[in-house]
Amino acid sequence: MVSGSVSSRLLGQIPLLTLLVLCAATALMTDRFLSPVNLNNILVQSSIMAVIAIGMTFVIIGGGFDLSVGSTAALSGCVAAMVMLKAGIVAGVVAGIAVGALVGLLNGLVIAYLKVNPFITTLGTMVLVRGLVFLVTGGAPVEGDHGLPSTFVGFGSTRFLGLHALVWVPIVLLALLSWVMHATPFGRHIYATGGGREAAYLSGVPVARITASTYVICGALAGVAGVMLAARLQSGQPTAGEFYELTAIAAVVLGGAALHGGEGTLYKSVIGVFIMIVLGNSLNLLNVDSYWQRVAIGVVIIAAAAADSLRSRR
Amino acid sequence: MGPESRSTQRPVEAVLVRSLTKAFGATRALDQVDFTVSSGEIHALVGENGAGKSTLIRILSGIHQADSGTIEIAGRSVDFRSPREAIAGGVVTIPQELRMVPALSIAENLMLGSLPMKRRLGVLPAVDRQRMNAEAREQLVQLNLDVDVRQPIRTLSFAEQQLVAIAKALRRQCSVFILDEPTAALESREIDRLFAVLGRMKAAGTAIIYISHRLDEIVALADRCTVLRDGRVVTVSERGRFAIGDLIEAMTGRVAADQAGEPRVPGPELLAEESAQDAIQIHAGHTLGIAGLLGSGADAKVRGLFGAGSTPVAVRAASGSHSLLRQPGDAIAQGIGLVPGTRALGLVMNQSVRDNILLPNLFHLGSIFRIDRIRADALVNEMMDLMDIRPRRPDVRVGSLSGGNQQKVILAKWLARRVSVLLLDEPTHGIDIAAKMHVHALIQRFTQAGGGVLVSSSDLGELARLCDSVLAMRQQQIVGRVERADGMSEARLRAALERTR
Repeated sequence: MVSGSVSSRLLGQIPLLTLLVLCAATALMTDRFLSPVNLNNILVQSSIMAVIAIGMTFVIIGGGFDLSVGSTAALSGCVAAMVMLKAGIVAGVVAGIAVGALVGLLNGLVIAYLKVNPFITTLGTMVLVRGLVFLVTGGAPVEGDHGLPSTFVGFGSTRFLGLHALVWVPIVLLALLSWVMHATPFGRHIYATGGGREAAYLSGVPVARITASTYVICGALAGVAGVMLAARLQSGQPTAGEFYELTAIAAVVLGGAALHGGEGTLYKSVIGVFIMIVLGNSLNLLNVDSYWQRVAIGVVIIAAAAADSLRSRR
Repeated sequence: MGPESRSTQRPVEAVLVRSLTKAFGATRALDQVDFTVSSGEIHALVGENGAGKSTLIRILSGIHQADSGTIEIAGRSVDFRSPREAIAGGVVTIPQELRMVPALSIAENLMLGSLPMKRRLGVLPAVDRQRMNAEAREQLVQLNLDVDVRQPIRTLSFAEQQLVAIAKALRRQCSVFILDEPTAALESREIDRLFAVLGRMKAAGTAIIYISHRLDEIVALADRCTVLRDGRVVTVSERGRFAIGDLIEAMTGRVAADQAGEPRVPGPELLAEESAQDAIQIHAGHTLGIAGLLGSGADAKVRGLFGAGSTPVAVRAASGSHSLLRQPGDAIAQGIGLVPGTRALGLVMNQSVRDNILLPNLFHLGSIFRIDRIRADALVNEMMDLMDIRPRRPDVRVGSLSGGNQQKVILAKWLARRVSVLLLDEPTHGIDIAAKMHVHALIQRFTQAGGGVLVSSSDLGELARLCDSVLAMRQQQIVGRVERADGMSEARLRAALERTR
C-alpha cells in the first residue's frame, strides 16, 4: 500500500523528471543551450503554446478533444489586428479573445447538445475556421499601412520584472485557472464529467453545460494565444498556428492527463509544453536534420500515449 | 507423495487445489487454501466480498498467478499463465458480465475463436456461414434455445446471452466449468432453465464451481459447499449438512437476524407521481418496493422519478407544490437522491471517496467561487463514520473499494445532503451478506428518521424483509400490490409477480 503510493507519486513526477533530464543532457552537449538568448527564446515560444495547452487540458479533463485551436489562434490574431487598426488596442484584444470564445462555443454546443463526436466536430471547425481566416484577410498578413500600434508590438518584446512580457500571460492564467480547477464547484464538476459522465449526471451535475464551457474556455485561450502571436509577429498572420493543436495535445498527454478524461493537472501540461519546446530547441542546437526532428517528436508523442495507457492499466 | 500413489487410493479429482496462497501488497487474499471438486459435482463457493472467492476463481482461470501452492486439473499439475491457457486446459469461466460483441450475430458470438472456414475459388479463405449457422443452431437447440442465430446478439435477453456463453463453453469440451453469480439478473423461469442445463452437464461428468450470493440456490443446487472467510477455508460441507443460517454464520462469523418487523403507519406524503394510473406515492417513514425482474420497467420507473428518464415526470412534492422533473438537478432540488442499479453509474470510479461524497454537495459548502475545505472534510469524515466505509481513507480511489463499500459511498452522497426521499435500484445487487445487512439497516434507519424510500429489486426476499408495501411490476405495468399488514413474504411476492393483470 505504502510502496504503491510512493511509486505512483514518483510516476506523477515523470514529466518533470523528463524535462530536467532533457535540459541537463542538452546543456552537457552544447553550451549554447544555457545562453540567456536561448533560454529567453524557449520561454517565449513556450508561453504561447502553454496558453493553448492549458485550454486543451480543460477540454481533455472534461472528456473531450479539440483540434481547432491552431486555426482559432490564427483567426483571433488576424481579427485582433484588424480591429486594432480601426478601433484601438483594447478593442482589438477583446475582439480577438471573443472570436476564440465564439469558436469554442460553436464546438461546445455541437458536441454537448447535438452529441456529435468531438474529434469530428473540431476537425470540421479546424478546416472551417482556417477557411474563414483566409476569407477575412484575403490571404495576406494584417499589418496596416504603418504596422500595428507600437504599444501592442512592444508588448511582444518588452520585459517586465526580468521576464519577457508574454511569459507573464501563462503564469497569471495558470495560477487563476488552477484555482478554478481545484477549489471551485465548477472545476470539480469538470473532473467528474470527464471521469464518469453518467455518474456525474445522476449526481445533478449539468454535464452538457460543463462540457460546452470547457470548449468555450479552450477557444478563448486559443484566442489569447492568437493575440500573443500577433504581438510577437507584429501582424496578424493567416497561416499562423498550424500544427499547434498537435503540439498542444502531445504536451497535455506528456503532462500526464488521461485521454479518456477525468485526470490531469494544468501545470503538468505546461511542463509537457516545455518538454516539446526544449526537445525541438535542443535538436536544433545539435544541428539535427529537421526531418529527423519530426521523427523524434513523433516518437515522443507515442511514448507519452503508451505511458498513459500503462498508467491506466495499473 | 507421487501422483501414482494418490491415484491408487481414490479417483482423480477434477480440481485439486493445495495450500494456495496469493497476496496483493500487504493483504493476503488467499491463505493456504485447499479446495477440491470432483467430476460430476456442483461445488458451491460462498463468502463475503473480499473473502477470496474471486481471487481463487481468477487463479483457476489464468487471470492471476498464485504465489505458492499447487493446482491439479484431472490429475495433471497446471500453472495457467493466461485465460487462454486455462481454456486450453479445460477450465472455462462464465463471468458475471458476459463479454459479447453486440453487433455480431448470435452464431458469430458463439463460434468466435473457432469460426468454420472454407476456401472461396479454392484459395481465398472465408468464413463458412452456412456451416457456422447450422452448428450454432444445433448447439442452442440442445439448450432449449430456439432463436434465429443470424440475428445480432443484442436482440437476446441477458438470460439467453448467458445460454449462448454456456453453449460456447460446451463447444470447448471443458472439464471444469465455473459460473460467477450466474443468476443475479435472471427471473425464476430462467433460473430453472439454467439449473436444468447445469444438471445435464453434471450428469455428463463436468465439474461445476458455482458462486452465488443467493444462499437458497446453493442449498437447493450444490452437492458440496466451501465457505471462505478472510482468504481461508472456514468449512466444507456435504449436501444436506448446510442450511442458509449455517452458511451466513460461517461466512460472517455471526448469527443472522431477520429484519422483518411490525406493519408501520405511513407518514405524510413526500413525493407523488402525477399520472392517470399506477401513480407511485412515497410517504415519510415508509418503504415502498417495486418487485420486477430485468426488463420489467421497474428500473425505468425509478430513474424517471429522478428526472433521468426518457420523458419528464410530473410530481407533487411534500409541500403540495407541483413540479416537472426534467433532469436529475430538478429531483435533487426536491430533496430526492438516487442509488442507481449499476454502481458505475453512481460513482466516478477514478476519483476519491471524498470527491464522490462531495459531488452533489459542492454548492452547499461555500460559494460558487470557493469550496470550504474545512466544512467539506468534516462532512466527509462524518459520513464515512456514519456509513462505516472501509478503509477509512477519504483520498483512496473509489474504484478500489469493494462493492459493498462503494454502495455505502453512494448512500453517503445523498445522506450528506439530508435528502428526504431515497430512490434505490437493486441496492444490494452483487454485494456480500454483511454489506447487504448494513445497507438494509441504513435504509431502515433512514425511514425511522422520517425519510421515504422507494426500492426496486429483483431479489424478492430482500423486498419482503425491507418494505412496508410492494408493487409487482411486469412489462412496464403494475400488476399487483402486497402490504405488510396482509402478510408479506417472498412467496406472496412471487405469486403477485406471476399473476397477469
